[in-house]
Amino acid sequence: MTAQYDGIGGSGLQFFGKVSASISHELKNVLAIINENAGLLEDLTVAARRGSPIDPDRLDRTVRNFTKQIHRADEILKNMNRFAHSVDQFECRVDLHDLVVLVANLAARKAAMGRILLETTAPAQPIQFTGNPFLLENLVWLCLELAIASTSAGRTVTLIPEKTASATLLHITGMDGLGEKLPLQNDAGLEAVCAALGAGMATDPAGNTLTLRLG
Amino acid sequence: MSEKILLIDDEVDFLSAMSERMKARDMQVTTASSAKEGLEKVAAGSFDAVILDLAMPEMDGIETLKILKEKNPDLQVILLTGHATIKQGIEAMKLGAMDLLEKPADINALTEKIKTAQAKKMLIVEKKNEEMIRKIMATKGW
Repeated sequence: MTAQYDGIGGSGLQFFGKVSASISHELKNVLAIINENAGLLEDLTVAARRGSPIDPDRLDRTVRNFTKQIHRADEILKNMNRFAHSVDQFECRVDLHDLVVLVANLAARKAAMGRILLETTAPAQPIQFTGNPFLLENLVWLCLELAIASTSAGRTVTLIPEKTASATLLHITGMDGLGEKLPLQNDAGLEAVCAALGAGMATDPAGNTLTLRLG
Repeated sequence: MSEKILLIDDEVDFLSAMSERMKARDMQVTTASSAKEGLEKVAAGSFDAVILDLAMPEMDGIETLKILKEKNPDLQVILLTGHATIKQGIEAMKLGAMDLLEKPADINALTEKIKTAQAKKMLIVEKKNEEMIRKIMATKGW
Protein backbone atom coordinates (compact mmCIF):
# COMPACT_ATOMS: atom_id res chain seq x y z
CA MET A 1 0.00 0.00 0.00
CA THR A 2 2.93 2.38 0.52
CA ALA A 3 3.23 2.31 -3.28
CA GLN A 4 0.68 5.16 -3.18
CA TYR A 5 3.30 7.29 -1.45
CA ASP A 6 6.22 6.01 -3.56
CA GLY A 7 4.36 7.22 -6.64
CA ILE A 8 4.28 10.84 -5.51
CA GLY A 9 8.04 11.02 -4.94
CA GLY A 10 9.19 13.73 -2.55
CA SER A 11 5.94 15.69 -2.78
CA GLY A 12 4.30 14.08 0.27
CA LEU A 13 7.36 14.57 2.46
CA GLN A 14 7.71 18.18 1.31
CA PHE A 15 4.05 18.76 2.14
CA PHE A 16 4.54 17.30 5.63
CA GLY A 17 7.66 19.44 6.14
CA LYS A 18 6.04 22.66 4.97
CA VAL A 19 3.00 22.18 7.20
CA SER A 20 5.23 21.33 10.20
CA ALA A 21 7.42 24.40 9.62
CA SER A 22 4.38 26.67 9.31
CA ILE A 23 2.85 25.28 12.51
CA SER A 24 6.08 25.63 14.49
CA HIS A 25 6.44 29.23 13.26
CA GLU A 26 2.91 30.07 14.35
CA LEU A 27 3.44 28.46 17.76
CA LYS A 28 6.62 30.52 18.19
CA ASN A 29 4.54 33.66 17.65
CA VAL A 30 2.05 32.47 20.26
CA LEU A 31 4.89 31.76 22.71
CA ALA A 32 6.38 35.20 22.05
CA ILE A 33 3.10 36.89 23.01
CA ILE A 34 2.73 34.69 26.12
CA ASN A 35 6.35 35.47 27.00
CA GLU A 36 5.80 39.25 26.78
CA ASN A 37 2.58 39.06 28.81
CA ALA A 38 4.33 36.95 31.47
CA GLY A 39 7.05 39.61 31.45
CA LEU A 40 4.43 42.31 31.92
CA LEU A 41 3.12 40.52 35.02
CA GLU A 42 6.70 40.29 36.28
CA ASP A 43 7.18 44.04 35.69
CA LEU A 44 3.90 44.79 37.52
CA THR A 45 4.98 42.59 40.43
CA VAL A 46 8.33 44.37 40.71
CA ALA A 47 6.54 47.74 40.59
CA ALA A 48 4.04 46.61 43.27
CA ARG A 49 6.90 45.51 45.56
CA ARG A 50 8.27 49.04 45.23
CA GLY A 51 4.91 50.43 46.34
CA SER A 52 3.15 51.19 43.01
CA PRO A 53 -0.53 50.24 43.03
CA ILE A 54 -1.59 47.46 40.64
CA ASP A 55 -4.26 48.43 38.13
CA PRO A 56 -6.84 45.56 38.09
CA ASP A 57 -7.81 46.44 34.48
CA ARG A 58 -4.19 46.00 33.44
CA LEU A 59 -4.12 42.56 35.08
CA ASP A 60 -7.43 41.66 33.43
CA ARG A 61 -6.11 42.62 29.97
CA THR A 62 -3.03 40.47 30.50
CA VAL A 63 -5.10 37.47 31.65
CA ARG A 64 -7.37 37.87 28.59
CA ASN A 65 -4.27 37.91 26.36
CA PHE A 66 -3.11 34.63 27.92
CA THR A 67 -6.52 33.04 27.37
CA LYS A 68 -6.65 34.26 23.74
CA GLN A 69 -3.22 32.82 22.94
CA ILE A 70 -3.98 29.53 24.70
CA HIS A 71 -7.11 29.13 22.53
CA ARG A 72 -5.08 30.03 19.45
CA ALA A 73 -2.39 27.45 20.28
CA ASP A 74 -5.07 24.85 21.04
CA GLU A 75 -6.64 25.34 17.58
CA ILE A 76 -3.23 25.10 15.90
CA LEU A 77 -2.42 21.89 17.78
CA LYS A 78 -5.86 20.33 17.08
CA ASN A 79 -5.27 20.90 13.35
CA MET A 80 -1.75 19.53 13.64
CA ASN A 81 -3.03 16.43 15.41
CA ARG A 82 -5.75 15.79 12.80
CA PHE A 83 -3.19 16.29 10.04
CA ALA A 84 -0.67 13.93 11.67
CA HIS A 85 -3.37 11.22 11.98
CA SER A 86 -4.28 11.50 8.30
CA VAL A 87 -1.49 9.03 7.50
CA ASP A 88 -2.99 6.40 9.83
CA GLN A 89 -5.08 4.80 7.09
CA PHE A 90 -4.31 4.41 3.42
CA GLU A 91 -8.00 4.40 2.57
CA CYS A 92 -11.03 5.59 4.49
CA ARG A 93 -14.23 7.62 4.18
CA VAL A 94 -13.82 11.27 5.04
CA ASP A 95 -16.14 14.27 4.98
CA LEU A 96 -14.81 16.33 2.06
CA HIS A 97 -15.78 19.68 3.59
CA ASP A 98 -14.07 18.82 6.91
CA LEU A 99 -10.90 17.86 5.05
CA VAL A 100 -10.97 21.05 2.96
CA VAL A 101 -11.46 23.19 6.10
CA LEU A 102 -8.46 21.45 7.71
CA VAL A 103 -6.18 22.12 4.72
CA ALA A 104 -7.43 25.74 4.48
CA ASN A 105 -6.59 26.19 8.18
CA LEU A 106 -3.13 24.67 7.67
CA ALA A 107 -2.53 27.01 4.71
CA ALA A 108 -4.01 30.11 6.40
CA ARG A 109 -0.65 31.49 7.55
CA LYS A 110 0.89 31.01 4.09
CA ALA A 111 -2.14 32.76 2.57
CA ALA A 112 -1.94 35.59 5.11
CA MET A 113 1.71 36.17 4.14
CA GLY A 114 0.43 36.93 0.62
CA ARG A 115 -2.52 38.90 2.08
CA ILE A 116 -4.98 36.36 0.67
CA LEU A 117 -8.02 35.18 2.56
CA LEU A 118 -9.05 31.52 2.33
CA GLU A 119 -12.73 30.66 2.72
CA THR A 120 -14.67 27.43 2.49
CA THR A 121 -18.31 26.89 1.57
CA ALA A 122 -20.11 23.96 3.18
CA PRO A 123 -22.28 21.86 0.85
CA ALA A 124 -26.00 21.53 1.60
CA GLN A 125 -25.52 17.80 2.24
CA PRO A 126 -22.30 16.22 3.56
CA ILE A 127 -20.10 14.84 0.78
CA GLN A 128 -18.13 11.70 1.54
CA PHE A 129 -14.83 10.94 -0.16
CA THR A 130 -13.36 7.45 -0.08
CA GLY A 131 -9.63 7.29 -0.65
CA ASN A 132 -6.30 8.24 0.89
CA PRO A 133 -6.91 11.33 3.07
CA PHE A 134 -3.24 12.35 3.17
CA LEU A 135 -2.99 12.32 -0.62
CA LEU A 136 -6.17 14.38 -0.93
CA GLU A 137 -4.85 16.88 1.63
CA ASN A 138 -1.61 17.03 -0.35
CA LEU A 139 -3.52 17.71 -3.58
CA VAL A 140 -5.64 20.49 -2.02
CA TRP A 141 -2.47 22.01 -0.44
CA LEU A 142 -0.64 22.04 -3.79
CA CYS A 143 -3.64 23.73 -5.42
CA LEU A 144 -3.74 26.32 -2.63
CA GLU A 145 0.02 26.94 -3.01
CA LEU A 146 -0.66 27.60 -6.68
CA ALA A 147 -3.63 29.85 -5.85
CA ILE A 148 -1.65 31.86 -3.28
CA ALA A 149 1.30 32.31 -5.66
CA SER A 150 -0.81 33.41 -8.62
CA THR A 151 -3.52 35.51 -6.92
CA SER A 152 -3.21 39.24 -6.17
CA ALA A 153 -3.01 40.47 -2.56
CA GLY A 154 -6.34 41.40 -1.02
CA ARG A 155 -8.31 38.71 -2.88
CA THR A 156 -10.36 35.86 -1.38
CA VAL A 157 -9.90 32.28 -2.59
CA THR A 158 -12.91 30.05 -1.84
CA LEU A 159 -13.01 26.26 -1.73
CA ILE A 160 -16.40 24.77 -2.66
CA PRO A 161 -17.04 21.01 -2.54
CA GLU A 162 -19.80 19.75 -4.84
CA LYS A 163 -21.41 16.38 -5.53
CA THR A 164 -22.99 15.87 -8.94
CA ALA A 165 -24.73 12.77 -10.28
CA SER A 166 -21.49 11.58 -11.83
CA ALA A 167 -18.64 13.10 -9.84
CA THR A 168 -17.27 14.56 -6.62
CA LEU A 169 -15.79 17.99 -7.32
CA LEU A 170 -13.83 20.63 -5.47
CA HIS A 171 -13.97 24.12 -6.98
CA ILE A 172 -11.26 26.61 -6.02
CA THR A 173 -12.55 30.03 -7.05
CA GLY A 174 -11.08 33.54 -7.00
CA MET A 175 -7.76 32.43 -8.50
CA ASP A 176 -5.80 34.78 -10.77
CA GLY A 177 -3.47 33.72 -13.57
CA LEU A 178 -5.43 30.73 -14.82
CA GLY A 179 -5.09 29.79 -18.47
CA GLU A 180 -6.17 26.74 -20.36
CA LYS A 181 -3.19 25.13 -18.68
CA LEU A 182 -2.19 25.62 -15.06
CA PRO A 183 0.64 28.07 -14.18
CA LEU A 184 2.42 25.17 -12.50
CA GLN A 185 5.33 25.62 -10.15
CA ASN A 186 5.52 22.05 -8.91
CA ASP A 187 3.81 20.35 -11.84
CA ALA A 188 5.52 16.99 -11.34
CA GLY A 189 4.25 16.87 -7.75
CA LEU A 190 0.74 17.97 -8.65
CA GLU A 191 0.48 15.51 -11.53
CA ALA A 192 1.87 12.67 -9.43
CA VAL A 193 -0.58 13.30 -6.57
CA CYS A 194 -3.47 13.59 -9.05
CA ALA A 195 -2.42 10.30 -10.66
CA ALA A 196 -2.10 8.54 -7.28
CA LEU A 197 -5.64 9.65 -6.37
CA GLY A 198 -7.09 9.09 -9.84
CA ALA A 199 -8.12 12.74 -9.80
CA GLY A 200 -8.36 15.22 -12.67
CA MET A 201 -8.07 18.99 -12.96
CA ALA A 202 -9.87 21.50 -15.16
CA THR A 203 -9.52 25.27 -15.38
CA ASP A 204 -12.13 27.92 -16.08
CA PRO A 205 -10.02 31.07 -16.69
CA ALA A 206 -13.10 33.30 -17.21
CA GLY A 207 -14.56 32.17 -13.90
CA ASN A 208 -11.17 32.26 -12.11
CA THR A 209 -11.83 28.69 -11.04
CA LEU A 210 -9.79 25.52 -10.81
CA THR A 211 -11.88 22.38 -10.41
CA LEU A 212 -10.62 19.09 -9.04
CA ARG A 213 -12.54 16.01 -10.14
CA LEU A 214 -12.12 13.49 -7.36
CA GLY A 215 -13.89 10.52 -8.91
CA MET B 1 19.17 59.43 27.49
CA SER B 2 16.14 57.31 26.63
CA GLU B 3 16.35 55.20 23.50
CA LYS B 4 13.98 55.88 20.59
CA ILE B 5 12.71 52.58 19.24
CA LEU B 6 10.49 51.59 16.34
CA LEU B 7 8.90 48.17 16.76
CA ILE B 8 7.56 46.57 13.54
CA ASP B 9 5.53 43.34 13.85
CA ASP B 10 2.22 42.16 12.37
CA GLU B 11 1.23 40.48 15.66
CA VAL B 12 -0.67 43.33 17.34
CA ASP B 13 -0.84 41.57 20.74
CA PHE B 14 2.95 41.15 20.64
CA LEU B 15 3.41 44.82 19.75
CA SER B 16 1.26 46.08 22.63
CA ALA B 17 2.87 43.87 25.31
CA MET B 18 6.44 44.42 24.09
CA SER B 19 6.02 48.19 23.73
CA GLU B 20 4.54 48.44 27.23
CA ARG B 21 7.54 46.58 28.65
CA MET B 22 9.99 48.77 26.75
CA LYS B 23 8.22 51.93 27.93
CA ALA B 24 8.53 50.63 31.51
CA ARG B 25 12.28 50.58 30.83
CA ASP B 26 12.22 54.29 29.91
CA MET B 27 12.39 53.78 26.16
CA GLN B 28 10.39 55.90 23.72
CA VAL B 29 8.53 53.34 21.63
CA THR B 30 6.68 53.77 18.35
CA THR B 31 4.90 50.76 16.82
CA ALA B 32 3.96 49.69 13.29
CA SER B 33 1.89 46.61 12.43
CA SER B 34 3.09 46.32 8.82
CA ALA B 35 6.29 46.85 6.87
CA LYS B 36 4.63 49.65 4.89
CA GLU B 37 3.62 51.51 8.07
CA GLY B 38 7.12 50.93 9.48
CA LEU B 39 8.79 52.42 6.40
CA GLU B 40 6.51 55.48 6.64
CA LYS B 41 7.39 55.96 10.32
CA VAL B 42 11.13 55.65 9.64
CA ALA B 43 10.79 58.27 6.90
CA ALA B 44 8.96 60.61 9.29
CA GLY B 45 11.13 60.25 12.40
CA SER B 46 14.54 59.43 13.82
CA PHE B 47 15.14 56.20 15.73
CA ASP B 48 18.09 54.74 17.64
CA ALA B 49 17.00 51.24 16.64
CA VAL B 50 14.35 49.45 14.63
CA ILE B 51 13.16 46.06 15.90
CA LEU B 52 11.83 44.24 12.85
CA ASP B 53 9.89 40.97 12.54
CA LEU B 54 11.31 38.73 9.83
CA ALA B 55 8.02 37.14 8.69
CA MET B 56 5.28 39.60 7.83
CA PRO B 57 2.46 39.63 5.28
CA GLU B 58 3.10 41.11 1.83
CA MET B 59 6.60 42.45 2.57
CA ASP B 60 8.88 40.29 4.71
CA GLY B 61 11.59 41.49 7.07
CA ILE B 62 14.49 40.90 4.65
CA GLU B 63 12.81 42.99 1.95
CA THR B 64 11.96 45.69 4.50
CA LEU B 65 15.55 45.65 5.83
CA LYS B 66 16.86 46.11 2.28
CA ILE B 67 14.69 49.23 1.76
CA LEU B 68 15.50 50.62 5.22
CA LYS B 69 19.25 50.27 4.67
CA GLU B 70 19.07 51.71 1.14
CA LYS B 71 17.31 54.81 2.46
CA ASN B 72 19.26 55.08 5.70
CA PRO B 73 22.50 53.04 5.82
CA ASP B 74 23.24 54.19 9.38
CA LEU B 75 19.97 52.84 10.79
CA GLN B 76 20.47 50.14 13.44
CA VAL B 77 18.11 47.24 12.73
CA ILE B 78 17.59 44.25 15.03
CA LEU B 79 15.62 41.39 13.48
CA LEU B 80 13.21 39.27 15.51
CA THR B 81 12.12 35.93 14.17
CA GLY B 82 10.19 32.82 15.10
CA HIS B 83 12.65 30.57 13.29
CA ALA B 84 15.67 31.91 11.51
CA THR B 85 17.49 29.68 9.09
CA ILE B 86 21.27 30.11 8.85
CA LYS B 87 20.73 31.34 5.28
CA GLN B 88 18.32 34.05 6.46
CA GLY B 89 20.69 35.06 9.26
CA ILE B 90 23.63 35.43 6.86
CA GLU B 91 21.48 37.36 4.38
CA ALA B 92 20.29 39.72 7.13
CA MET B 93 23.85 40.38 8.33
CA LYS B 94 25.05 40.94 4.76
CA LEU B 95 22.29 43.51 4.33
CA GLY B 96 23.54 45.33 7.41
CA ALA B 97 21.29 44.09 10.23
CA MET B 98 22.89 44.74 13.61
CA ASP B 99 21.64 41.49 15.12
CA LEU B 100 19.06 38.74 14.87
CA LEU B 101 17.14 37.43 17.89
CA GLU B 102 14.84 34.44 18.06
CA LYS B 103 11.29 34.72 19.49
CA PRO B 104 10.43 34.47 22.31
CA ALA B 105 13.15 36.99 23.07
CA ASP B 106 14.59 37.80 26.48
CA ILE B 107 13.82 41.47 27.25
CA ASN B 108 17.17 41.92 29.01
CA ALA B 109 19.10 40.59 26.00
CA LEU B 110 17.04 42.80 23.70
CA THR B 111 17.57 45.85 25.96
CA GLU B 112 21.34 45.25 25.84
CA LYS B 113 21.24 45.09 22.03
CA ILE B 114 19.18 48.31 21.91
CA LYS B 115 21.74 50.06 24.11
CA THR B 116 24.52 48.84 21.79
CA ALA B 117 22.51 50.11 18.82
CA GLN B 118 22.10 53.53 20.43
CA ALA B 119 25.85 53.71 21.22
CA LYS B 120 26.68 52.76 17.61
CA LYS B 121 24.31 55.40 16.30
CA MET B 122 25.83 58.07 18.57
CA LEU B 123 29.29 57.10 17.36
CA ILE B 124 28.19 57.45 13.73
CA VAL B 125 26.60 60.86 14.44
CA GLU B 126 29.74 62.04 16.28
CA LYS B 127 31.94 60.89 13.40
CA LYS B 128 29.75 62.71 10.90
CA ASN B 129 29.83 65.88 13.01
CA GLU B 130 33.62 65.70 13.25
CA GLU B 131 33.92 65.30 9.49
CA MET B 132 31.60 68.23 8.95
CA ILE B 133 33.62 70.45 11.32
CA ARG B 134 36.86 69.36 9.63
CA LYS B 135 35.36 70.25 6.25
CA ILE B 136 34.21 73.66 7.47
CA MET B 137 37.63 74.32 9.04
CA ALA B 138 39.36 73.37 5.80
CA THR B 139 37.16 75.54 3.59
CA LYS B 140 36.94 78.63 5.83
CA GLY B 141 40.03 80.71 6.35
CA TRP B 142 39.83 81.02 10.19
